[in-house]
Amino acid sequence: MKTLNRRDFLRTSGAAALFAATPGLAYSQVVGGGASFTDYRALVCVFMFGGNDSYNMLVPNTGPEYAAYATSRQNLALLQADLLPITPASLGTPDFGLHPSMGGVQGLFQSGDAAFVTNVGPLVEPTTKDQYFSKSVSLPPQLFSHNDQQDQWTSLRGNVPSKTGWAGRMADLIRDGVAGQQMATNASLFGSNLFQSADETVAYVMGPNGPLQFEGFSTTPGELLNEQRLAFNRVVDAQYDTIYERGFAAVQRRAIDAADTVTTAIDNAPVLNTVFPASQLGTQLATVARLIAVRDELQMQRQIFFVATGGFDSHDDQNLNQPGLLGGISEAISAFHAATAELNIADSVTTFTQSDFGRTLTSNGDGTDHAWAGNQLIVGGAVNGGDLYGSYPLLEIGGPEDVGGGRMIPSTSADQYAATLARWFGIPEVDLDVVAPNLGNFAQRDLGFMIV
Amino acid sequence: MNVNRTVSLLASILLGVAGCGGGGGSDEPPPPPPPPPITKAEAFQLLNQASFGATEDEAQAVISMRPEQWIDDQMRKPPSLQLPHMLTLPPPQFMGQLHVDRVDIWFRNVLLEDDQLRQRVAFALSEIMVVSQLGALQGRPFAVADFYDVLVQNAFGNYRDLIEEVTLHPAMGVYLSMLGNEKPNPALNIRPDENYARELMQLFSIGLVELNIDGSVVLDGNNQPIPTYDQEIIEGFAHVFTGWTWLGSPSFGSGRVPVASQYFPMELWPDFHDTGEKTLLDGVVLPAGQTGEQDLADALDNIFNHPNVGPFMAIRLIQRLTTSNPSPGYVRRVAETFNDNGFGVRGDLGAVVKAILLDPEARPALAMEIDGKLKEPLIRLTQLFKAYDATSESGRYPLVASYILFGQGPLQSPSVFNFFSPFFAPPGEIRDSSLVAPELEIATEYLNTLFTNYMFFQTFGLNHTNEDLEEDQIYINLQEEMDIAADIDGLIDMVADKLLGGEISDPLRTEMAGMLALLPETDPVLRAAEAVYFVVTSPEYAYQR
Repeated sequence: MKTLNRRDFLRTSGAAALFAATPGLAYSQVVGGGASFTDYRALVCVFMFGGNDSYNMLVPNTGPEYAAYATSRQNLALLQADLLPITPASLGTPDFGLHPSMGGVQGLFQSGDAAFVTNVGPLVEPTTKDQYFSKSVSLPPQLFSHNDQQDQWTSLRGNVPSKTGWAGRMADLIRDGVAGQQMATNASLFGSNLFQSADETVAYVMGPNGPLQFEGFSTTPGELLNEQRLAFNRVVDAQYDTIYERGFAAVQRRAIDAADTVTTAIDNAPVLNTVFPASQLGTQLATVARLIAVRDELQMQRQIFFVATGGFDSHDDQNLNQPGLLGGISEAISAFHAATAELNIADSVTTFTQSDFGRTLTSNGDGTDHAWAGNQLIVGGAVNGGDLYGSYPLLEIGGPEDVGGGRMIPSTSADQYAATLARWFGIPEVDLDVVAPNLGNFAQRDLGFMIV
Repeated sequence: MNVNRTVSLLASILLGVAGCGGGGGSDEPPPPPPPPPITKAEAFQLLNQASFGATEDEAQAVISMRPEQWIDDQMRKPPSLQLPHMLTLPPPQFMGQLHVDRVDIWFRNVLLEDDQLRQRVAFALSEIMVVSQLGALQGRPFAVADFYDVLVQNAFGNYRDLIEEVTLHPAMGVYLSMLGNEKPNPALNIRPDENYARELMQLFSIGLVELNIDGSVVLDGNNQPIPTYDQEIIEGFAHVFTGWTWLGSPSFGSGRVPVASQYFPMELWPDFHDTGEKTLLDGVVLPAGQTGEQDLADALDNIFNHPNVGPFMAIRLIQRLTTSNPSPGYVRRVAETFNDNGFGVRGDLGAVVKAILLDPEARPALAMEIDGKLKEPLIRLTQLFKAYDATSESGRYPLVASYILFGQGPLQSPSVFNFFSPFFAPPGEIRDSSLVAPELEIATEYLNTLFTNYMFFQTFGLNHTNEDLEEDQIYINLQEEMDIAADIDGLIDMVADKLLGGEISDPLRTEMAGMLALLPETDPVLRAAEAVYFVVTSPEYAYQR
């Protein structure tokens, strides 16, 4: 497997390293914030709510490793003959296979546009099984709980609760450099989320089909509906006595401000030939593609999109539901990548997955329960694709990574995963520790799956 | 902000507001003087906390009965249920269709029936002990309706009975996969399903960390929160919850079951129940060899008696009914009521609800900027519907797309974590002050615009003057407003009376007056619709005092 020894952080100056070592104080914040950008880049987070059973997404395809998998998973194991084989570049042999529903991703992997990071999850510091049980390392609290592990993935604060997410912190770090953007750096098509929550910037939440315009408002002077719009605006902008009214009015204000600009731009977007699946995720990603298509009209330079789909909490009927779940991910992401290629922007758009947690290797009869580490997928023209990054454990119950029931300890941290994406996005080396606060606890600051 | 809270409480004390609820003090207070008459605005405030929207008639009832008697009266009203209505319906082409009728009967009950407080508390409970139509229950509308009835029937009952009925309800069994959960089979690496065990503790009863009676987090010597349970305890409960399936099921795991199984408690199949020892909370270990029923009763007692349940349920219910940011004292008073209703009974939800609504902090004499809460979208909608006699030609309210239109619908949560988190704090002053505003999580730019637009169509289009309505389209009645539409100030007063308890801000009044003056006096429906539109889309209407 590919290992990366790139030591980018050595490039940074001593002074910068000093600033970076001061908690909460990043170099670019000190020098007055955020280089401006000459190019366009977008990150697209696909969140699989419920906890994806990703050891059935990416499966060992060699004799002993498959046998261990099949013994552990019993009635949940995929047949080896059904796997879609993939050949990681660093191995040269088809040692892994994908879930049979993921033909689209298989094609992307073999063409070098997709990679996996394996056995990755939230950690505070490197953790062994002995350390886990002796509690001699700091651990993320409330492991195996949905919302806590979602928060850990998206905030990366590890053992302390966080009010900001790593996408939010990235937007804050670059805010001065993208001051001309007509839309917020962070846009969600799946509601409010911690991932994009920030101290200085606010994510814009639109619908699966994009922003909505307000009914009954005109901008033509003299028209009654223009007066209505103005009066409505003045009500929104009035002084209110409570935090609740002010919070509500602030959302209305942002909705009004963004609706016209963004909807006008998106209405003028070129029609894409790429066909998206009619799923919830397909609809959201089709909208993201249209927004990316009008990036110049909106003067966008850096964007982070949050899209999501649910149903992955497969306590029941896993064998029945998994083909639809994983097939849905594969089809929507493949279509989205094709759309970015059609727009000649594939090298500037990186799609990546997150999920609550991996799931137990053992079965509860017809499903699986909450666990910890899992595998994540990265797709785009700037991905060092066709390979796996991180180590893939032997999937045996009671093995060195299993803390019980087939709950695997991550061997790569979500901080490393995020920092690798953040560096590609244009976050300076010294600010990566702001994005991923526990990054300093891990030797490898860049997992190498992005071409930078 | 905390300073403001202190100021608020101080002011309440200085202004001589009578304390109540709670118990716990040993000093006998002198007999209280008769409470002063309450104003219409105060009646509206109580009704917006305790019903699906204040109306002028109900406000008069509160004023004449006084709040405590009104609450007592409400608690005596017989429950309005969903299942009896569902059972009168002809068999559908496909089961999922009946969710339309389930949502319809929910709206009819909360808009038209008298047991308003019971329905409001049931709705609050449905956002704590969550099951949802969306997912595995799509094909089980009777189960979902009957689950809601369980919440309605137990709204003022005992929490211990409620969690037992919730635990054994097949809707919950399906939703959190306790139904069909079986004892371990080590040879096949099969162990019990942990789903219900985990969420029952995290979301329905005790939460993740130890709490003090006032809801604050207990800290250990290193200033760290103390987890209430660990993986071993989850596995203990997961083993307790083995052996239960549909009543009358032909096989344990699945198979075709009679429709009526959807609305009867699950049944124990002893061969599928694990009979080993089980480690529970507080060091309790259930002995091996107990029956499934014994294990279940002991395990629910174990949870019920955990000291967290009082403050946990106090915070959750206070946030659903009265305010997002209760003071520690408010939480403590309600939690103490949970622990002892004054007659030595633990878990009396009726007493808890009364303590929440009659607490001085529910109606502070001098309101502060953190008092109250944002209204949920569904409450904003039902309040308009009630105030303006919303109905349809068919008499139905088939708003099954409610969760799409408003981000919220009855038993239509996207997951067991409800429509929003009790801990949600948007960036800015709320987060900076360590406060929360749960409902703001679904007041996104997108959902706010959808709601605002829906209000536009509801007021201007879907009103009683529209002659092209389809039989299921819900319309509001603007006749009284039309009758007074020539008098702009009178019109504003009328709408403010109906929707805001008469308390309208100067900016809103000014803007409404300016707009109404631009509309022709000869078009009363336009004026009436405009007035209602401006109020129901305003920040002050979205706020519940």
